[in-house]
Amino acid sequence: MKRSFVSVLALLAAFTLPAGATWWSPGDGTPFPAQYDDADADGVTRLLLDGGPMETKGHPFFEPKGNYGRACVTCHQPSDGMSLSAETARIRWQETAGKDPLFAAIDGANCPDLAQGERASHSLLLDHGLFRIARPWPPVDHDGQKIEPDFTLEVVRDPTGCNASKVWGLSSPNPQVSVFRRPRPVANFKYILAMGFAIDPKVGKPLPIDPETGQMVSGNLMADRRALSLEAQMRDAAHSHLGFDALTPDDIKRIRDFEDRIFVARQRDRVGGDLDAMGARGGPETLARSAPGRLGSQGAAVWSEFAAWEKIPADADITPEQRAWRESVARGARVFREKMFLITDSAGINSPVGFGNPVRNSCVFCHNMSQMGMDVAPGQVDLGTTTMPFADSQPHLPLFRLTCKGPAHPHYGRVIHTHDPGYALTTGRCEDVGKITLQTLRGLTGRAPYFASGSAPDLRAVIDYYDRRYNIGYTEQEKRDLVNLMGAL
Amino acid sequence: MRRIMTALLALLSFNSVAQAAEAVRFISCPIYRDTDAGRKSGCWLAEERETGRRFDITQSATKPDWSMAVLIEGRIADNQDNACGAMVLEPVRVSILPAQACTRAMIPAEGFPGRRFVLPSRNIRPLYAPEPAPPPPYTAQLFPIPFDFGRDFVVYQQSDWMLVRAATYAKASGGNVVITGYAETEPVHVSGQSLAEPAGLGKTRAEMARLWLVSLGVPTDKVRVEWKQNPVPLADPAFDGLTEISRRRVDIRVTP
Repeated sequence: MKRSFVSVLALLAAFTLPAGATWWSPGDGTPFPAQYDDADADGVTRLLLDGGPMETKGHPFFEPKGNYGRACVTCHQPSDGMSLSAETARIRWQETAGKDPLFAAIDGANCPDLAQGERASHSLLLDHGLFRIARPWPPVDHDGQKIEPDFTLEVVRDPTGCNASKVWGLSSPNPQVSVFRRPRPVANFKYILAMGFAIDPKVGKPLPIDPETGQMVSGNLMADRRALSLEAQMRDAAHSHLGFDALTPDDIKRIRDFEDRIFVARQRDRVGGDLDAMGARGGPETLARSAPGRLGSQGAAVWSEFAAWEKIPADADITPEQRAWRESVARGARVFREKMFLITDSAGINSPVGFGNPVRNSCVFCHNMSQMGMDVAPGQVDLGTTTMPFADSQPHLPLFRLTCKGPAHPHYGRVIHTHDPGYALTTGRCEDVGKITLQTLRGLTGRAPYFASGSAPDLRAVIDYYDRRYNIGYTEQEKRDLVNLMGAL
Repeated sequence: MRRIMTALLALLSFNSVAQAAEAVRFISCPIYRDTDAGRKSGCWLAEERETGRRFDITQSATKPDWSMAVLIEGRIADNQDNACGAMVLEPVRVSILPAQACTRAMIPAEGFPGRRFVLPSRNIRPLYAPEPAPPPPYTAQLFPIPFDFGRDFVVYQQSDWMLVRAATYAKASGGNVVITGYAETEPVHVSGQSLAEPAGLGKTRAEMARLWLVSLGVPTDKVRVEWKQNPVPLADPAFDGLTEISRRRVDIRVTP
């Protein structure tokens, strides 16, 4: 329902996007305003461009570059919280009969050697919002040197056929592993790049050093941390998603300037009204003005932006529905922080760091950064969303069998079945199988589905997954409160 | 009468101290007691099979994994709060032995409250509120860094804090740094098992310490690395009085 605008125009258009209003085509030339409000059926997501509006004509984030007619904005749409929802992809497919550069064979299809233009060839993008990510096999390090992995990798099944392709597969002249992932939002980088501590306790090491600058970096970029800096990420994305290898230093500088200034968060809810009303501090303005990288346990508690709604005065001038919704959001923030459960068998949490397996904690154990819910001590964690036995059934995805050659994985044993080895495709280490970089929790409503492999179709499914995975025992009320909270971020 | 009472009390006190000083070292499978006094409040227990005594090992910086055996080294604590339903070891160190599988065991709280989480004194300060650099004068200093048995992993809220202290001092003093990694390769017999660390572990521990110091800003050309085996035990606050665990360490010597 994301795109079903509550307007006569939208109803008349019958799922047709207003041209140039919602879908941002490469080379569109529309100036990016200082404040961009995207309305959907449930409210408004706001983007703030800190420092004022920006011309996009000729801007490297917005201009098509490379072989596929795409720009960065193709997969990082302002109306989708600077990511891309599966629903937007479906609407775009319908509007362009699958001709939009979004559906480029290289990664907008299940495999480049499938018949392009047929819906079935793009089913992972259309049904699950997934792009093909081709990782070299064996892995290579940040200097391009091959890594000898300590596990073997076999394909158990692959509905896409890509991992068996003679051109694109594991046995091709340029061997690669195809996994399928959601695009991460390009916004709020002040927080994503923040370093609260100089260490990554999850691996017992200092934070990584960017080989280009020699400077310590957060390690919070990309699902598998294959790039350590935004600049490296830009080059990786330009090469793999745009077919473009000639980003100039000026291009990178201009993209970086835009990415440093863009903030996204939910601003208004259809029922609850403005998220910065009555003492609350929701919306992106708080993000733009706050210092990043602060521990919620030592400063502003995580999601305390909504603490003022815990006790709304009886004579407050709001409707009963508004009151109920706001109180629900405030309760959700409490549940997020205070509902304890046993975290088990999650590499990065229960091993190798000595928190114990199991360890009792709440959502803020990992999502501990004020205003953002990132991890102040960043690093990669395995929640099991892509790996058996914890992953939900995902028959549309490839399934790999990994066999550890050295020590067994601390929780999965020696033989592991996974849809996406995650961080292990960067490090080549068995112990990293299934680990994924923590996601950002802002601007969620516009970018379903969720989790790296898109396995949660909506926010309720995210909560349900955690409830199953960790046997939390949320009540129905707690689930609704958490969904409302996440919808308010 | 008063004199007799005083003598009795003194005797009891002596016995208590003597008991508190008792060191234990054993291998066992851990038991998780599911107490809930907030975050990180669960209890970890382990039974010394040789005596049947059950110990509370929760205060170790490294907590167990319920599917793996643990080597426990500690002393019976002076203060027995009975928060977890077993005799408290403190100080205590737990080393996970991944090669020895255990059946997972979780028991209910059974009325025991557990303990509320308290931030350990050995915790790294955030980058936005760093510890001030130590002031001069700078003298030669030794920073011993403990390691769990068989691992080069830097223990959270213990060895990491010590490494940051060493790096801070090395940077402030501008001194030369010699890192010596040790492994305990000489077998020791614990709970009927022979334990010995691989010879290469001293090197990997030393290199891990080097990675920390250099990443934290100590100039590469100031750091020299060496490794040895089976050092003599070292009495240093880093080991909390558990001198046997000091055989598994890295020494960082800073010489201004």
